[in-house]
Amino acid sequence: MSTIERAVLLIGSAKRSGESTSEALGSYLMTKLNSHGVGASAFAVHRALRTPDRTAALLDAVAGCDLLVLAFPLYVDTLPRLATQMLELIAARRRPVQRARTPWFLAIANCGFPEAEHNDVALAICEQFAAEAGMRWAGGLAVGAGGAIHGDAVHERGMTHNVARALDLTAAALAADQPAPPQAVTLMRTPMMPAKLYTFMGNLGWHRMAQVNGVWRRLGDRPFSTSDLKIERG
Amino acid sequence: MNALILDGALPGDVATPAIAQHLQQALTVAGWNAGIVALREQKIAYCLGCFDCWTKSPGLCKIDDDGRTVTAAMLASDLVVYLTPLTFGGYSSELKKAVDRSICLVSPFFTRIAGEVHHKARYDRYPAILGVGVAAAPNAAQAAIFARLIERNALNLHAPAHAAVIVHDGDPATTTAAALAQALAHMNIDRKVMA
Repeated sequence: MSTIERAVLLIGSAKRSGESTSEALGSYLMTKLNSHGVGASAFAVHRALRTPDRTAALLDAVAGCDLLVLAFPLYVDTLPRLATQMLELIAARRRPVQRARTPWFLAIANCGFPEAEHNDVALAICEQFAAEAGMRWAGGLAVGAGGAIHGDAVHERGMTHNVARALDLTAAALAADQPAPPQAVTLMRTPMMPAKLYTFMGNLGWHRMAQVNGVWRRLGDRPFSTSDLKIERG
Repeated sequence: MNALILDGALPGDVATPAIAQHLQQALTVAGWNAGIVALREQKIAYCLGCFDCWTKSPGLCKIDDDGRTVTAAMLASDLVVYLTPLTFGGYSSELKKAVDRSICLVSPFFTRIAGEVHHKARYDRYPAILGVGVAAAPNAAQAAIFARLIERNALNLHAPAHAAVIVHDGDPATTTAAALAQALAHMNIDRKVMA
């Protein structure tokens, strides 16, 4: 029997369901936790922040969980605005609360660069959040080349096999009331493909998307270069 | 030279806007044309992560709100001050809503900088970045994270110079001015933005 009972996944991506790498990574972990007997629920942060009722429901779920997981894409070197806002709300609510059992907090970050190290500052911020919100830090899992997953399910074979293995190990540890093991952290950071291949495919993809959208010749546009741009300064 | 202070105070925060005023005064005394944007008063929707600003309307976010104006103002400045209540060592959600929308200032295409993959520049010049974190009390771990975050942003946004300082709630204007002067000297900004 698992020593943790309830896990809550927060998906920090603003993308639609099925297109989010954060959702794919978080959902895989939740499925595995479920197989260990942990009850799991998931919230898309952008939907939860739309109305006060939804926000309150999310905060209630977080207040009652044994494990909080935040899966998010890296935006300009750190957490996206929505994920930051949600952590602000959780920390503000949790500070005065005393609980019999201290919940865990695990963060899963993915970035569009091939090197997983780009996520490190964001994960350090998550660790600080855990300390301020009175949670136990379960670790930070960093994925590079997140664009290669692009919402596809994580599989135990093929390109994502190290990611799947890392999440398997993490789920087993968390279900046993332990943080993510170092092996999982290392496996998660293992490149899914050579950096040169990823950047070649990525650059090709930008060209193709622009071509489909009819703006290939305008890819280098500089709309804010106009000399008559007027900025009001307060 | 133009400086833009992005005030990332959350609603109800009185310390950060006060420090924004101190910074503006100190910059003005130093000869800058300094403006403040109170981000909490700006209508800036969250970045959708759709990449349309790279592949549908290159260089321009499809959301027509204050995010466009603030992004344009950032690029038109020689120095952008990221002023924020230190939030777990990083930015507040109010500052982050503007920073996220600035992604259209760079190109989607990849390049290598210092051995790492980053996005290519879209423009010929970018503003220097000064991070000013407002903390209730000294916290070395948070200060280290903040300095690293500013360094990473400067790298990814092609800033010619950068620095990060921490100030504290209730600091007098003279203390903020001294921290600013020290940061500007460290950035050697006069020479770099003129280059």
